[in-house]
Amino acid sequence: MSLAARISERFPGLFHASFAFLLVFAFSSAQAQGFDQALYDKGEKLFRGNCGSCHKPDKNLTGPALAGSRTRWEGQGDIYAWIKNSQAYLKTGNAYANKLYEQWNKSVMTAQAVTDEEIDAILYYADSFPGPQQAVVVDPTPVPTEPTGTAAWPWLIVLGLLFLVVSISLSGVKRSLDGAVREAEGRKPAEDRTILQHIGNWAWNNKIAASFIGLFFVVWLLLQGWNALWTIGVYGGDEVAQNYKPEQPILFNHTLHAGKVDAGNLAINCQYCHSSVEKSKHAGIPSTNVCMNCHQAVAEGRTAEGTAEIAKIYKAVGWDPEKLAYTGEEEPIRWVKVHNLPDHAYFNHAQHVAVGKIECQECHGPIDEKMDVAEQWAPLTMGWCIDCHGQREVQMAGNAYYDETMARLHNNEIGHRELKNYLEDGKITVKELGGWECAKCHY
Amino acid sequence: MSSTKRYWKDLGDLHQDPEALKGREHEFPQEMSIDQVMGDKSFAGASTGRRDFLKFLGFSLGAATLAACETPVVKSIPYVNKPEDITPGVANWYASTFYDGEDFASVLVKTREGRPIHIKGNPRFGINRNPALDKGSINARINSSVLSLYDNERLKGFMMKSGDGVVSATKDEVDEAVTKGLAAAAGAGKRIVVLTNTVISPSIKAAVAELKAKYATVEHVQHDTISYSGLTNANAKSFGARVMPSYDLTKADVIVSMDADFLSNWGSSTEHTWQYASRRNPDGSMNRHFQFESRMSLSGANADERTAIKPSELATAVISLHDQIAKRTGGTAVGGGTDMDEATKRAADALLGARGRSVVLCGSNDEGTQVLVNSINSMLGNYGGTIDLANHTFFKQGDDAAVAQLVKDMNAGSIGALLIAGVNPAYSLPNADEFKAGLAKVALSVSFSAYADETASLCSYICPDNHYLESWNDFMPKVGEYALAQPAIRPLFDTRQWGESLLRWSGNDSTWHAHVKGTWQRELAARGGMSVAFEETWNTAVHNGVYSVGTAPAASPAFSGDVNAAAAAARKAAQAGEWEVVLYTTEAIGDGQHANNPWLQEMPDPVTKVTWDNYVCMSPADMLTILNSDDFRDLYIGEASPAKLVKVTVGGVELELPAVPSPGQKSGTLAIALGYGRGANGERVGRAACVTDHNGEWNPVGRNAYPLTALNGGAVSYSAAASVAFTGGTYPLAITQTHLTHMDRHSVVKETSIGVYKAGDKEAYNKSHLLAVHEDVNGDGAIDARDKKPVREFDLWEEHPVEGVGHRWGLSIDLNSCIGCGACITACNSENNISVVGKDEVRRSREMHWLRVDRYFSSDTQWAEGRAEGRSKIELYRKMEVPSNSPSMVFMPVMCQHCNHAPCETVCPVAATTHSNEGLNQMTYNRCIGTRYCANNCPYKVRRFNWFNYVTEQFGEVNPAWDDLGRMVLNPDVTVRARGVIEKCSMCVQSIQAGKLEAKKAGRPVKDGDIETACSAACGTGAIVFGDLNDKTSKVRGLATSDRSYHMLEEIGVQPNVNYLVKVRNTEEEATA
Repeated sequence: MSLAARISERFPGLFHASFAFLLVFAFSSAQAQGFDQALYDKGEKLFRGNCGSCHKPDKNLTGPALAGSRTRWEGQGDIYAWIKNSQAYLKTGNAYANKLYEQWNKSVMTAQAVTDEEIDAILYYADSFPGPQQAVVVDPTPVPTEPTGTAAWPWLIVLGLLFLVVSISLSGVKRSLDGAVREAEGRKPAEDRTILQHIGNWAWNNKIAASFIGLFFVVWLLLQGWNALWTIGVYGGDEVAQNYKPEQPILFNHTLHAGKVDAGNLAINCQYCHSSVEKSKHAGIPSTNVCMNCHQAVAEGRTAEGTAEIAKIYKAVGWDPEKLAYTGEEEPIRWVKVHNLPDHAYFNHAQHVAVGKIECQECHGPIDEKMDVAEQWAPLTMGWCIDCHGQREVQMAGNAYYDETMARLHNNEIGHRELKNYLEDGKITVKELGGWECAKCHY
Repeated sequence: MSSTKRYWKDLGDLHQDPEALKGREHEFPQEMSIDQVMGDKSFAGASTGRRDFLKFLGFSLGAATLAACETPVVKSIPYVNKPEDITPGVANWYASTFYDGEDFASVLVKTREGRPIHIKGNPRFGINRNPALDKGSINARINSSVLSLYDNERLKGFMMKSGDGVVSATKDEVDEAVTKGLAAAAGAGKRIVVLTNTVISPSIKAAVAELKAKYATVEHVQHDTISYSGLTNANAKSFGARVMPSYDLTKADVIVSMDADFLSNWGSSTEHTWQYASRRNPDGSMNRHFQFESRMSLSGANADERTAIKPSELATAVISLHDQIAKRTGGTAVGGGTDMDEATKRAADALLGARGRSVVLCGSNDEGTQVLVNSINSMLGNYGGTIDLANHTFFKQGDDAAVAQLVKDMNAGSIGALLIAGVNPAYSLPNADEFKAGLAKVALSVSFSAYADETASLCSYICPDNHYLESWNDFMPKVGEYALAQPAIRPLFDTRQWGESLLRWSGNDSTWHAHVKGTWQRELAARGGMSVAFEETWNTAVHNGVYSVGTAPAASPAFSGDVNAAAAAARKAAQAGEWEVVLYTTEAIGDGQHANNPWLQEMPDPVTKVTWDNYVCMSPADMLTILNSDDFRDLYIGEASPAKLVKVTVGGVELELPAVPSPGQKSGTLAIALGYGRGANGERVGRAACVTDHNGEWNPVGRNAYPLTALNGGAVSYSAAASVAFTGGTYPLAITQTHLTHMDRHSVVKETSIGVYKAGDKEAYNKSHLLAVHEDVNGDGAIDARDKKPVREFDLWEEHPVEGVGHRWGLSIDLNSCIGCGACITACNSENNISVVGKDEVRRSREMHWLRVDRYFSSDTQWAEGRAEGRSKIELYRKMEVPSNSPSMVFMPVMCQHCNHAPCETVCPVAATTHSNEGLNQMTYNRCIGTRYCANNCPYKVRRFNWFNYVTEQFGEVNPAWDDLGRMVLNPDVTVRARGVIEKCSMCVQSIQAGKLEAKKAGRPVKDGDIETACSAACGTGAIVFGDLNDKTSKVRGLATSDRSYHMLEEIGVQPNVNYLVKVRNTEEEATA
């Protein structure tokens, strides 16, 4: 990981703020005179709703860039009629319209139900794009990171040090007093002994207590070692210091794509990309053509870095953003797998999501809230799996498969007995229907 | 002990040589002391002291440990453009068709992420579909064919001859040269011969026609490796149609098979198996099956009455049967053959009792014999009933006479070009040497073989054909029945469908796909009456794999053969001798084209249980005679007891092979399997056809027996007079079941006759096992040995709550429908990633098969009778080991029985094998530490231990999963087991879980038949039925609770979830086994 990335990870707000500042600075000089913010906003809204999938204000897409179109049409014909119903307008035999139609591969623009005022607003927006950069109000102070479970240890160290200092100074005081007493009583001053010698002396005099403490430490060390061994090769989780968060070939931002709209994100449903999650054992890493469903139109990121990342998609899928055409030169993206299960463990997404009705976040963490880079959130250990299987209630409602299961339990004596055992805690857990059995996950 | 004995360390010690004894007083020899070693001058300058050395050691150990802790980075690479119908992790099934000249089947190909990994019969369409069960019947060769796709020894591109060897060539080079060569041959007026196996593909026929249109001298010669010329020629003489008819065994109440192994390899066997099995239900109308044969075949093992005859006696037996029927139906008797009347009388009676509802099949390749059989069937009125000539098959159109003529013409130099597809004449012809000599005289020879095999390596060009799973193709197995093959994967190598090569050379540039489609469009348009557009018809046909255009009405054509001439010819063709050799094909290897498939090589022969070899089957009595022994134990073959080598001589051709005792074999006959000994001259014919032995020598598996065949009366004869001698040598054989009988243990296999069964007393044929208890059960007021309870009521362990709770998966195995074919074994291999271990490991009983098919011969000695005769125990046991001379035989598929009171579970120290609440005995590989206690405690011996990492280079020659290509056949849902763990049948728990998930997702209960294990899906006869025993309406529950149902070794009370159904033979007398 680069230093910059590390810093940005540590202080996510810092870069954001500095970029915004730079942008504001850059665009403030380009601010047009007599700018009509209300009209611009209206135009933007209309543009996004009606035009954005085929046009860009400043760039060619499926259709031409809208900026300057009014000027281009000057004296050539009626741009309003053209926008409202291009096919009808073509039939009038307008030369410029027909030329455009030929030029843009005869792609038909659907008729638009917009008024002349609305067209004016749209074109105003396009002409003045990107407009005066909206004042992005950014709090310059970095967002404080949430205290995590591991953050308590520095305090413990400080406390320990404090305790040490106090005890050393106290023992110093004690020694001075002791010396003073000895002097007063006319005895020989005590030998000057180091702390270690003191401890050694004490241990020699209190063998039972010392060996007990020693034993305690040995057991404690063994236990720690044993626990550490269990986490070898296991990424993520609270037991392990660092969550597995490999660098990906494309810095895909899950939060941006799947996060909530009110946080400025796109709120795309997880299943739009991970479409096989209800069908297959794999949730599925989306094929690059799925990216292109949106990114054919969205060529630019919110930052320059974002745009560079999007360019990587184009390279992979063989899309020429200038010519707006596929080149045929494909290069599959080699993602790094984040969640690695051992070969002998079988996991099926469909079972958990389609049948168990588990939200993605329950295992993958707040991937839509604060996971710019995907990381392993759950420990994915067997203990973690069966903990959940032991508590989680089976989603039986409305599923005839489980109706049959229940019917069988009700229909005979052994079943009744079993059902009573199951319902001791008032619910039927996955474990009770066999979710703790080896061959549910190992075969 | 004598004190004069001296023990000495070496000669120096013996002779008390002072020089040698110097320094002996020291414990260790002083001359190589550590000082001396360290005194080496080069060590003097070294700065590494002992402490430093230890530090380094410690550091490297620590560093290595830390480095090893790092989990490797795993890449995950999605599609750039995902095909619409592929979802990673979900299998796709494609309908296709298998045809190799020998077997035909409509199949479904399972693909995962674009890789074909499993093959099963098409359950909805095709002539091999069992409509009663909705299962497609296939055999082991067909479901193993997926493995040959990933054989790294397939040719990776076109080859041409250069000097003594072959070198790679581009397609264009070859196309140019071949086109030139063909033009030259046609220009010189020399014949261009396309030599193929029986072509049933309309598209290939069209391609050959196109070639003929371009080059006038093209002619098409068909050659079947296993010839049926006798049969087809006989039909030409009898009815004027040189075809193999369709047989409908579902309509046959009586089947008399004259040496036709119709359940294994003879004729359209994938069809015969399900038809036969559908009439073997004792509760329905059971057929009656007579078998006359020399060796113990699969059909013979299943027969109700089996008569062993010598091959030379076959003609006599047919004549005898013919005359008995002729006399009673008013037909023409041919006379003679009365010495077999006793043997054939019962068959004749049965046939006459079922006129029009019977069939006589004959496996002889002698035309005269087949004409007589046609006459019998005609007299019985079977044509139009069980035999359909109007809707005949298109199989086996080969003509031995035409092939013989071709070889002559090649030697005479009148053949300008020879294009060879689907056959391997340099290996399989009786006159292979003559063929090879002739081939050298043909200016242009092209082979389409996928391997540089015996024939291809002699040709001037090899244009390797695609594997059938990479190909489009079409077939017409029968009148009115079409079938399609579609590719399930893109060609792995730079190969080309051979029909497409023909198109190129005819100047046609269309793809094979376009050609096949075009052919269909023409054919269907010519038939007319297409109700929907062609495109729709085509798509439906691709989806179904099959297209039927309607069958012709059955006809009963008049028999017009000359029976007297036929009888004379048949008698003349029979070669009697003191010893007679019978050549046959096995269920695994067939005619030899799949000999390179390790799954098939390791599949035990159903009857002899031998793997990885062919051998001479002999009657045990004959073997004792030639070994000059009277102890049956001398015939034992096991890990430490190699087989005895014998030399078989037929007309000057000698073959040295191990001899295997085969109970039921006719005395005086020697049976040898064809199809072995591939690549004997070092040809690279595929992965497992040749293996390196422990001396590092490259050896073909078995010996080629085709040279023992001979052209006799216009057709290849598969039997001949022979001589045999014991050479005194021995040969290790890998045999998976070394015992022959079940030693009178009726709780293992239960067999009865239809008479006993129909009488309705369950205890008479399916005795339940009772244990005496100390309470008054029968209420006679006394507690004595008569107070017994069924074993089922005794629980040593706490009960598993599986009955009535949730699912309880179980298998029911009908010993009546099981014909022993072994398709379940290879299906299980394919589904469960079972390792192939090779001959040497099998020899040590380390085969890994989760499913085995035990076979038991009946013995003449039974415990009760023996005791009554006052024989000693030892003597009795010894006698019971000896199978009867004409034994009845039972096949019994055995897999993990999934005991509810499993003995294996209680002894595992680490709880690696546990019970599920669905009745499964689960094996957890990652827990297993390999104590093998479970295997020791298993009463059924179904647990297998991984002695080695079988997917390593050490086993690379036999184990397909070793290389990157072979690994593609692995089922990604099943763990590949590592060394040191036990494995066993999981009852395909991955399919169970998948089936349950499908039901849960759809929000419905699991329907009976939703889930199939690999073995039950492969079992076209319906012998293996899988289902939920807790589902009151399931088929498996019905079977498990039927009167015929029993548990193997019921007396030990382990309560398996696998049950067996008593075998019922359609014989009147008391069962003997």
